[in-house]
Amino acid sequence: MRLIRPYLLILPAFLLAFLVIAIPFADIARTATHEVSRFGILIRFNGADNLLKVFRDPLFQSSLLRTLWWTLFVVAGTNLVSLPVAILLNQKFYGRAIARAIVMLPWSVSLTMMAVVWRWTFNAEYGMLNSVLERFGIISAPVAWLAQSELAFPIEIIVGILVSIPFTTTIYMGGLSSLPEEIYEAARLEGASILRQFFYLTLPLIRPFVNIAIVLNVIYVFSSFPIIWVLTEGGPADGTQILVTYLYKLAFRLGRIGDAAAVSLIMLAILLVFTIIYLRTQEKEQGA
Amino acid sequence: MKLFFSLNHRRQLNQRFIPHILATRGSIPRSHRSAGANLGIIAAIGALLSMASPAATQAETVRFTASYYSAETEPYFKKMADEFHQKNPGIDIKIEVVNWDNLLQKLTTDIGANANADLSIIGTRWLVDFQKQGLVEDLGSHMDQSFQNRFIGTLFNVAKLDGKTYGLPIAASARALYFNKQLFTKIGMPDGPKSWSDVEEASKKIKALGQYGFGLQGKEIETDTYWYYSVWSYGGDIVKDCKAVFGSDAGIKGLTEYKKLIDEGLTEPGVTSYSREDVQNLFKQGRVAMVITAPFLINQLKAEAPNIEYGVVPIPTETQPFSLIVTDTVVLFKNSKVKDAAWKFLDFLFTKDPRIAFTKGEGFLPTTKAESEDPYFTQNEKLQAFVNLLPQGKFLPLVTGYDAMSDSVIRAVQNVYLGKAQPAEALKQAAQEADAALCK
Repeated sequence: MRLIRPYLLILPAFLLAFLVIAIPFADIARTATHEVSRFGILIRFNGADNLLKVFRDPLFQSSLLRTLWWTLFVVAGTNLVSLPVAILLNQKFYGRAIARAIVMLPWSVSLTMMAVVWRWTFNAEYGMLNSVLERFGIISAPVAWLAQSELAFPIEIIVGILVSIPFTTTIYMGGLSSLPEEIYEAARLEGASILRQFFYLTLPLIRPFVNIAIVLNVIYVFSSFPIIWVLTEGGPADGTQILVTYLYKLAFRLGRIGDAAAVSLIMLAILLVFTIIYLRTQEKEQGA
Repeated sequence: MKLFFSLNHRRQLNQRFIPHILATRGSIPRSHRSAGANLGIIAAIGALLSMASPAATQAETVRFTASYYSAETEPYFKKMADEFHQKNPGIDIKIEVVNWDNLLQKLTTDIGANANADLSIIGTRWLVDFQKQGLVEDLGSHMDQSFQNRFIGTLFNVAKLDGKTYGLPIAASARALYFNKQLFTKIGMPDGPKSWSDVEEASKKIKALGQYGFGLQGKEIETDTYWYYSVWSYGGDIVKDCKAVFGSDAGIKGLTEYKKLIDEGLTEPGVTSYSREDVQNLFKQGRVAMVITAPFLINQLKAEAPNIEYGVVPIPTETQPFSLIVTDTVVLFKNSKVKDAAWKFLDFLFTKDPRIAFTKGEGFLPTTKAESEDPYFTQNEKLQAFVNLLPQGKFLPLVTGYDAMSDSVIRAVQNVYLGKAQPAEALKQAAQEADAALCK
């Protein structure tokens, strides 16, 4: 009894987690291994056929590669911008509360709405961006920002960075506010420059927060749908397709629900591998 | 990934709970619901009570999923539901209006969950899939000859598969070229273009005036269709006997023509960032001089750009004048439990007055004979231009795999518009991809 008791205590929580995670997963796995009609009705078991079909699809391969670039650039950009912003907002200055609110505000707007606003901004004929650039004489004719994937994709990355900043800044501000003031005082007394303080005190101390910011952003950005879908629907000519938009297109445009489920399994696997590697490196650091 | 989880979640939830919810909803009399908040509470109590005694079924509820055409759509269907309810107090109509972009997805999830409405408007080209899966009712047993005679024959036959009627044409639309009369008068071509060489000539002169000539759609839904116009204009076709034939000489000519217009700066710049909506907006602003689209632009221009003077002519052609006719179909689902009541509502919708109100409000073309004789159509010169084209109508092929073909074609033409591929090779590859999917 003594042996079983702890397990009994965690059983309810375990069951709940199991239901929430396992049932959808089982359903996806079932869908992914069946031939499925476009209305989601399972027709017959076909093993790994869907998975193999997806792997052979050149569009999957290019979307996968683009997803990696998308995640890398958005997450890196977001963190590079958010950390200085958080440090700034952590200083004491007049109107700090307002500045903080302004940075946080976009967070409360739905991502899709933000993407729609950006779509208008980048419109070639009546978009705000062209109008501003023309007024300042920077461009003479309107630029069709979203007409070519070579231009549209970097723009989507920038939008992705901008919308991820509020969340990431919040994490960093939480981290910074937990740092003791005394060590900075000591550093100043020893004559350490601001840069040295940043690299030798701030950065090492908020390391756990950097890790969290990276992992959570990777998970969100990797499967982030609205920005790319609203701005370009993965086009033109599939030039901005990432895995999650490719998945949506498979399921709801082409009616290939079984294949779409296979893609979502692949995405799950990629995120799982990433998280495991991350947890491993964390353990090692803590052990050392 | 999130989306997919939610799809499957809903399926499981709905299977269990939806039937009960429906049963309670169905037994709330309409008069209670439309009254104030207090009555709403009473109705809620009533709903609770009726849950306890499910045998008490007075009113039948018919659920109708309508597609969003314009701000008029919902008021129209609600009004029709009310009028119908007054004539048939025993039947309640519940209207749900869904955006076109989400309609197929919504129907897909609803059907997967067995929670779909009784009636729904669908894009006619989806019908093949619906019929193949055995989801839609063969309407033959419900209608007699006189009912069929209400319709314009060619439109009625669109939704026929293997000789059986699976749907009724609720909305019809054709395509023609709108041209800006002010600009075309300035360049001395007040009657608009007839051929592609006319389009080129006019566009060059309009470009000199500082506006864009030919509005070319290169993004999102119907990008393929916008190019099909040029295929038909050179005498080509899209699909024949389950084979993609758009890669023929006519197709290559059409695509080359479009590419030439782009390269010479005779379209708006950056065509691959313009959806149909965007090009229409440019036309309303007087920025492009030509756009090929449906009759509904007439109403929009009247409301949003009354200063634009324009004419409507057939799509530029090197052979016979033609139009593309697109219909939307209303279907009755096989799993409906109130088929007779649903049919009654359809019967009502396809009588003269409801039809005229709908077609006028949305700016569509008539699908029944009684409508087409109404002065609204016979005396409107611009609408008449569309109605006159109905006999020369082309239809998009009704085949499975249409969406896959559409996807391949859009990719091909976008690559050509962007200068990343040559017309002949791009079309050849798209045709191969399409052949792998058509009629499968």
